Amino acid sequence: MSYAIGKAIQRKEAWDKVTGKAKYTDDLPGLDVLSARLLTSTCAHGVIRRLDISKALGVRGVKAVLTGADCPELFGPLVLDRPALARDVVRYAGEPVALVVAQDEPTAELAVRLIEVEYEPLPAVLTPSQALAEGAALVHRQPNGYKKVVPDVYPKAGTNIASHYRVQKGDAQKALAECDFVVRQRFSLPPSYHIAMEVRTARAEISADGNVVITTSSQSPYGVRKQLSEAFLIPAGQIQVKVPFVGGGFGGKAPVFLEILALLASRSVGGKAVRLTIPREQDMASAPSRIGLEADIKLGANRDGKIQAAEITYWLDCGAYADISPYMAKAAAVDCTGPYHIEHLSCDSYCVYTNHTFATSYRSFAHESFTFCIERAVDLLAKQCGVDPLEFRIRNAIRPGSFTPTQVAVTESLVGNLTQCLQQVKELSQWDGGKGVFIKEDTVRAKGVACLWKTENPPTDAVSGALITFNPDGSVNLHTGVVEMGSGGQTNLAQILAEKLKMDPGQVHVVMPVDTRTAPEHWKTVASMTEYMAGHAVMRAADDLLAQLRRNGAEALQCPMEEIEVANGRVFSRKNPDRFIPFRDIVQGYRSPQRESLGEPVLGRGGFMLKGLSLLDPQTGKGKTGPSWTVGAQVVEVEVNVKTFTYRILSASTVMNVGKVINPELMRSMIAGGMSMGVSMASREAAVYDEQGIVRAPNLRTYKLLHIGQEPDYRVGFVETPEQDSPYGVRSYSEHGIIGIPAALANALSAAFGRELCLLPLTPERIWKAIREEPK
Amino acid sequence: MIPFDFIYCRPDTMEDAYQAFVQLQTEGKNPYYYAGGSEIITMARAGSIRPGAVIDLKQIPQCRVLSLDSEELHLGSVCTLNEVKESKLFPLLALACGRIADHTNQCRITLGGNLCGTIRYRETCLPLLLADASVTLFGRQGLRTVPFTSVFDGRMRLDAGEFLVQVHVPRKALQAPHYHIKQTASEKIDYPMVTVAALWQDHFLRVACSGLCAEPFRSAEMEAVLNAQNLSGADRVRKAVELLPQPAYDDVEGSAEYRKFVFQTILEALLEEVTHGPL
Repeated sequence: MSYAIGKAIQRKEAWDKVTGKAKYTDDLPGLDVLSARLLTSTCAHGVIRRLDISKALGVRGVKAVLTGADCPELFGPLVLDRPALARDVVRYAGEPVALVVAQDEPTAELAVRLIEVEYEPLPAVLTPSQALAEGAALVHRQPNGYKKVVPDVYPKAGTNIASHYRVQKGDAQKALAECDFVVRQRFSLPPSYHIAMEVRTARAEISADGNVVITTSSQSPYGVRKQLSEAFLIPAGQIQVKVPFVGGGFGGKAPVFLEILALLASRSVGGKAVRLTIPREQDMASAPSRIGLEADIKLGANRDGKIQAAEITYWLDCGAYADISPYMAKAAAVDCTGPYHIEHLSCDSYCVYTNHTFATSYRSFAHESFTFCIERAVDLLAKQCGVDPLEFRIRNAIRPGSFTPTQVAVTESLVGNLTQCLQQVKELSQWDGGKGVFIKEDTVRAKGVACLWKTENPPTDAVSGALITFNPDGSVNLHTGVVEMGSGGQTNLAQILAEKLKMDPGQVHVVMPVDTRTAPEHWKTVASMTEYMAGHAVMRAADDLLAQLRRNGAEALQCPMEEIEVANGRVFSRKNPDRFIPFRDIVQGYRSPQRESLGEPVLGRGGFMLKGLSLLDPQTGKGKTGPSWTVGAQVVEVEVNVKTFTYRILSASTVMNVGKVINPELMRSMIAGGMSMGVSMASREAAVYDEQGIVRAPNLRTYKLLHIGQEPDYRVGFVETPEQDSPYGVRSYSEHGIIGIPAALANALSAAFGRELCLLPLTPERIWKAIREEPK
Repeated sequence: MIPFDFIYCRPDTMEDAYQAFVQLQTEGKNPYYYAGGSEIITMARAGSIRPGAVIDLKQIPQCRVLSLDSEELHLGSVCTLNEVKESKLFPLLALACGRIADHTNQCRITLGGNLCGTIRYRETCLPLLLADASVTLFGRQGLRTVPFTSVFDGRMRLDAGEFLVQVHVPRKALQAPHYHIKQTASEKIDYPMVTVAALWQDHFLRVACSGLCAEPFRSAEMEAVLNAQNLSGADRVRKAVELLPQPAYDDVEGSAEYRKFVFQTILEALLEEVTHGPL
């Protein structure tokens, strides 16, 4: 019998959110809170020749104006390469240059407009190709001179390379020479934005005795504590980080960014509380965005349509600062081929500095970008081989007996069953061979398919934890360090706990806000690892709780502990279930009818640390970076007008190997949400820069997301090949819905227009241009 | 957030509005006439304008008119796009109003604001250009009513302090066969890549366009070509595209070349419609 797993229970925060009562960082009332505003660079790369803050300081109500000179520290999760405020040099348009702290926001904004800056422009590099060209301007004079936080980042002196990873197995060059069919394709994909509904915001306060309180819209409360502690030499115990609800993160709130500035601001005014909320334009141009990517892919197959070899180069455009991008380059290397059985492989993945806004994790950690390239190349190769692209993928699907690019031996538990996903999506999408069909004059319908896979790239020693306490009615409270940002992790954890305790999930209350003082450390709410990492911690905490309940039960019922069962909110002896004690009478110890105190109050605790992961071998790339993989197959159907190059997206389907369906409705909506984000990004989103490297129109008037009313029909199917090592077999799933969608869209549009479209975003104008410029 | 204070002034009569403007101008307050506020609020927030005062026209009765008499349709300048749309009195204008911004904003943006604002598309002007509309203005000499085209050449050319009171559309145009197509970059609710409005009146196709060039236009030369019976449809379109009154516009939403291409495909579709009967 299932108590909670597989049930479509409502999200735990549903009522708070639909009634508008959920509180976010900037909703929290603040009496006596000062406001801060940023002045940002209008130059992509340049020397700050003059910075005059005197007029701003003269504005009544201004408390402090900070510049780079006030903060010598450098920041970053992997290498310390980023100043809080530009020092002497600006490296992207939008980079914070000065910070005004004032009695209120209008005053701060007025003062910001009075700061005078003069830049002496330096040559800007705006793409990885430009940045790697002979004689290119250097974004950082000494990229290898920065302090590393982790060992496996490899900046190269005298270049713009922030890191490089190499993966090699077999002999790709030789194997390609022997292939019957070979395709080669280059790609250049622009950066884009996260556009969480809630813009980034943070506030800071320092007490008279030096305790720092940060309230922030962050996916990494513990990362905030760590980076602030290390940079400012504040003992970690003196830093308290609070995260209420987060209005969407998508990876963009994993970096530590505004928290640093808010702390500097508070420090400059004697520790008074300061809030820093950036307007949407700065949330786009100044805060970290999604990577751009250039790629060169060569794939070869033999006569019977089996992929033999791949040569792949990825150049990730990480913008002006490294942030987490070197690890995205690593992640791109680890999963470089897509989920296919390929024996001979050579892949180089570079993380390249440019004068773009610096990049950070974005839903699926670069997989949405490189998967576009590899899945387009796979489609091209399938066409060359004359095989239906979906059948071609089944033929080449990774399976037990294969090895991943970094030479991990594939098992069903580890990687799941891609073939089954493909077979199921074939039915779900009513696959018809992937060829365009005229339905009336000038109007063609077509479908495109793409696969997805992803493993994680956490630190090899990342941790999570869970605490469980009881209420007098026998319901439980679950405390974790997981941030609720819409991804449903807390609800899944409640279901995992309810199942383990054999109780109604309605009796599990989840503590939503995170406070680093009270919640056990959870690495970060990223990488869709909540169910795996926090799930393990919850299972252990539940085991701990159950053991204590059994001990109390044994004393209360006077029988051996082995005979005690716990289910349905009761403690009872297996031999005589009619004699039971409800939770409310036993969770705080037991009082016998004779008023004798028995047992002890019950408190569950569980911790979890990742095990068995490794760094990649620098020569071959051999190694295992994440606990397991999630695979899936996706199909997009379009209807295009071949005359106007406009199109509609009719449907998007995903079949994903989720391991175990914890909550069908929640999982469906998360996967549909991923598809929606993929459709939006691939069809219309790009950060557009002018020739000087100034981002054009960073606002929502012109940067359009997919809106309600234009959504296609989303179809979701599940495959339940369990991951043996995970709670109830569940796999990471919450970000993955995006991964194959851009490629499936491009494959569909290529079929519909009868031309190979290898670009993003796929706007009618860009399609028109590509087809006009391509020789027939 | 608008980071500065400004005076809010809400006159009840046209005279008071004009006097307030003159007074505030003299005091160096840089006053703006205010109706729906969507442009003033967003531009003040972005720092591109800094009005010291706004004069809200929404309480002036003459500016609120929405009525039809035996000769003309009268539309007050502060009627919202949604009011104009829902009145259903001028179907072509209703189509234009229904494709500007989203419903929430259509309930705030006014006809006058769309015509007199700085956002360059001014799509409500297209039906007015086609319908031989006239406008009533209030300024230094009091009221004056003039042909729309005499004060609109892609943007409103008003005297200092003058404001739009009403728009008048001859009845004849209201029910004429018409055509309206707006193509955006991708998203349905967006500025136009190209919007074309057409009206079939007196056996003649009238065409006006927004988005294509820096400013909206109606061109006699272009209409002559589009109505040339001796030319094939393809030739008419080709020649019409060569007759742009200004260079095609180029910005982050679309290149000049692409805008011309879109214009061409829209004209082709339009002429296709015309050959199948009067729109």
